[in-house]
Amino acid sequence: MILTGRAIQDAVDQGEIMISPFESACLGPNSYDFHLGTRCRTYDSLLLDSGRPNPSTVQEVPPEGLVLDPRRIYLWDTWEVIGSNRYVPIIRARSSTARLGLFVHVTADMIDLGSINRLTLQLHAVVPVRVYPHMRVGQVTFWVCSGEIVPYNGKYRDTESPAGSLSYRDFGVSE
Amino acid sequence: MILTGPAIAAALARGDILIEPFNAGDLNPNSYNYHLFPELYKVAVPGEQRAASRIAIPGTGLLLEPDCLYLGCTDETFHSAKYAMTLVGRSSAGRLGVFVNISADLGHMGSRNRWTLEIKVVQPVIVYPHQCIGQVAFWETIGIPNPYTGRYQHDDRPHTSKDDGLLSSPHETDA
Repeated sequence: MILTGRAIQDAVDQGEIMISPFESACLGPNSYDFHLGTRCRTYDSLLLDSGRPNPSTVQEVPPEGLVLDPRRIYLWDTWEVIGSNRYVPIIRARSSTARLGLFVHVTADMIDLGSINRLTLQLHAVVPVRVYPHMRVGQVTFWVCSGEIVPYNGKYRDTESPAGSLSYRDFGVSE
Repeated sequence: MILTGPAIAAALARGDILIEPFNAGDLNPNSYNYHLFPELYKVAVPGEQRAASRIAIPGTGLLLEPDCLYLGCTDETFHSAKYAMTLVGRSSAGRLGVFVNISADLGHMGSRNRWTLEIKVVQPVIVYPHQCIGQVAFWETIGIPNPYTGRYQHDDRPHTSKDDGLLSSPHETDA
């Protein structure tokens, strides 16, 4: 089951969902609209290696925005801290974003229970597109779960968003 | 409702879910990690999938190129007659710009196979055999099951498209 906007509001009020900052105006019938933050991380090299650390650089994006190159992946934080110890968050683009050919994640839409952080969006543009800090870019839905809840304790737990891939740690490699 | 990690483990113990091989360390708060089978198809030219040849992923890694589509599959065989499944990438793969499916994330009840992955990369990325690349989630259903008897049943390797019905009219496909 998916929470309605009203149920999301109630869960936020009761501390079962964290969305901060929260504005009622961003509630949809069954989702909450989130915004881009101001920080964007890109990899220094075009060639990436899933078994090794990939050096990357974070920039503070100015109000005039940034044109995304379809041949690059952009890791961008959300303005909001989002997460829940009770409901499973799943993110997606707003249709207005998708109509510009902009992916907000790269087949990684599901957030672990107990992972409460600014999200790291994986922005990928199908055609060049200019995006702006604080842009209302995506929506988060919340899903009822079944079973005992063991909160997330994974490798991104204490990272600062937008965080680069830690895939290399699965290979026993440390930075 | 989506199953939590402990609920997935309990369903395995009851025989309501099959994951083979299974490793308790790959349970997440609300999903199970899967790994990349060491063989895939490189689909270099659109429309010529059937001519695509198999490539083994060497232990030293395989460079995936952005202009190509690759069809890989999971190391694990997944099956459930009781729960529907959805497949996503790990955020560690998404953060490297690796798509693991092309908007085909739903696994039908009753299917029993290694899940074929439609892999597309934004930047060139090196991948390795058996690397942890994504997650499967399990969902409770409502209604009488009408199990999957489709053409991809029992797939044990990556498979190219078998959809000869793509150009048929809907009523012909349903017949």
